[in-house]
Amino acid sequence: MGSENKDHCPAKVDISVAPGGTEPGRACPVYVGTCGYSYTEWVDSGFYPEGTKSTEMLGLYGRCFSVVELNYTWYQMARADALARMVEKAPAHLLFAAKLTRTMTHERADNWQEQLQLYRQGIAPLKKRLVTILIQLPPDFDRSIANRNYLAALLDGLHDLPVAVEFRHGSWAIDPVFAELERRRVTLVAVDEPSLPGLFPSLDVVTNPALFYVRFHGRNQEGWRSGNMQKKFNYDYSDQELRAWCDSYIYPMAARADRGILLFNNHVRAQAPKNGKKLAAILAGLHHGGR
Amino acid sequence: MSQGFRLRERAVLHFNVADFAVAVERVTDSSLRQRPVIIAPLQAARAVVYDMSEEAYGEGVRKGMPLRQATRICRGAELIAPRVTLYQKAMQAFVKELQGYSPLIECGQADGHFFVDVTGTHRLYGPAPDVGWRVRRQARSSLGINPIWTLGTSKLVSKVASRLVKPVGEYIVTAGDEAIFLDPLPIGLLPGLSDKELLKLQEFRLTTIGALAKLSRQQLMVPFGSRCDYLHAASRGVDDSRGCLPTTDTESIDYEHSFADDTNDQRQVEGVVSTLVSRAGFQLRAQQQVTRRVGIWLRYSDGGHVVRQASCKVGTAGDILLHKLALTALQRAWIRRTRIRSCRLVCDRLQRQSPQLSLFPEPEKRQLQQKKVTGAMDTLRRRFGHQVIGVGRQYPMHIPADDSGESPIH
Repeated sequence: MGSENKDHCPAKVDISVAPGGTEPGRACPVYVGTCGYSYTEWVDSGFYPEGTKSTEMLGLYGRCFSVVELNYTWYQMARADALARMVEKAPAHLLFAAKLTRTMTHERADNWQEQLQLYRQGIAPLKKRLVTILIQLPPDFDRSIANRNYLAALLDGLHDLPVAVEFRHGSWAIDPVFAELERRRVTLVAVDEPSLPGLFPSLDVVTNPALFYVRFHGRNQEGWRSGNMQKKFNYDYSDQELRAWCDSYIYPMAARADRGILLFNNHVRAQAPKNGKKLAAILAGLHHGGR
Repeated sequence: MSQGFRLRERAVLHFNVADFAVAVERVTDSSLRQRPVIIAPLQAARAVVYDMSEEAYGEGVRKGMPLRQATRICRGAELIAPRVTLYQKAMQAFVKELQGYSPLIECGQADGHFFVDVTGTHRLYGPAPDVGWRVRRQARSSLGINPIWTLGTSKLVSKVASRLVKPVGEYIVTAGDEAIFLDPLPIGLLPGLSDKELLKLQEFRLTTIGALAKLSRQQLMVPFGSRCDYLHAASRGVDDSRGCLPTTDTESIDYEHSFADDTNDQRQVEGVVSTLVSRAGFQLRAQQQVTRRVGIWLRYSDGGHVVRQASCKVGTAGDILLHKLALTALQRAWIRRTRIRSCRLVCDRLQRQSPQLSLFPEPEKRQLQQKKVTGAMDTLRRRFGHQVIGVGRQYPMHIPADDSGESPIH
């Protein structure tokens, strides 16, 4: 179904989309990567060579993947100088998704409008390499009127930038929400996570034909609400699970979008890069092995 | 084949609760929020500011400023007496939160500063930025305080980052970016520089850390002598120092008393020394330690100070011998006619109390009785606080119900 890239862009697969009606067949490029790249644990786990320093990680990461989600911008406000230095060092093919800072999502500050302006200035050095800004909303962010108004204001503030929204609360999984995102050309993030009550379900809805965005969080039911990241994101996807995801979600979404990004968040013991490489191989039709 | 080991990149988190004493007071009394607050001993005639809120700081109040001057500058400020014990309890509560993430924690004395070395803990607790964020969230929810958290590859870098974001915020200095991070910052943000050194740097027009980093060690040696190594390394963000872990066996026991008014009244000074001795003795016995040297530091009203010691061959934790040693040291130190501003007592050369029984005949009945009385007083003090009982010669000080007039320094 897919073919390996020919422009030396690792983990980028062109998924052939079957022609529909009078339209000729086309290819939807999907980029595979992970949520974050700077993990000391990935040295211990062998993804990075022994002795790799933090400054060397992005270059090594770029040898395997075509996109990365910057999650440190969630912990602290994006700073233009730091991002400019990072972009300068990054391999030329690498694309970036940047998480919105927590002061606008999980710990909303009173001055969030000012924060938004700072954020916009902070991510400016990413320029055309920015695939999208990721607004990850907290689990308690339900579809109340106040939250709907806030989200609308936030999206208004980012209207001229590519934006993707990840809901964690199940109440947002309704058609009017998808229709509004579609109207705004905002990407709804498709998630794979444990099947626990109240969580946002896995869907193949495409609200922005320019981009679909998938985040694989792992399916660790016991660890999900433990409050410990090492338990929450400790999961290793099997071949069968990834193949099932390709058939049920990725191919249908690729048929309705111009490009897609697939990111693994199960960073514990470097399972994210391992699964990312595996998924890229499956999509390229190169992987036939078992688990 | 030799199996060499590699040094990991360090990850040091610095937590800093700005205006710690005020933050703790605001937890206990929410009406103090958003108002200028000054913390200072209220009974003392020449009290100085112990801590102040950001609002009072904005008005020009500074730590160590005479209270009279501070209240003139910031007239609407709420005045509160310091409760050092309460602040220490809050510090302990914070440390307890931190112990869930690392055993390597360095903290100061009720000052709201904590260094946590989380190098190598990622497999258990996840990436260091996440630990920083979680600790802050826990501190907010369980203690009601909102610390700054910063992350760097050394104590120096994370400390500078804290100074940069104070009073609220967070800052992650990526490994490898230390020199670039420090380069444009004002030199005053570099920790560990004395006023004289800052003045000298100013004279050389070295205003940024980057400007200092451009100088070689040899160039720095001429004006700064042996300090050139520190300045050279610090300006480049190099700091290999480890966290100083708290130990139960302290190297010295240290108490100080500042007189409300400068004095040269012998009875008053000796009374204070007696009080300090009783506190030090109580602590020694609680730690099952003995001291072989007692030092007295007298600080005079003109800023000068004199230090003298008295020692004994066999260590002691008994109030009687400690008192004798302290009075000898006081006699040696009190060599000026200038009035005394503060008096400090230091017991060092500490040893564990020997469990070995004496080979020689049992001590006299009088000594046994004294030991029993001291034991009974210690029991009372453990239960009801140190101020509940004392000997007649002690200086009667106004002591708040939950706090001490003297400040332990160790």
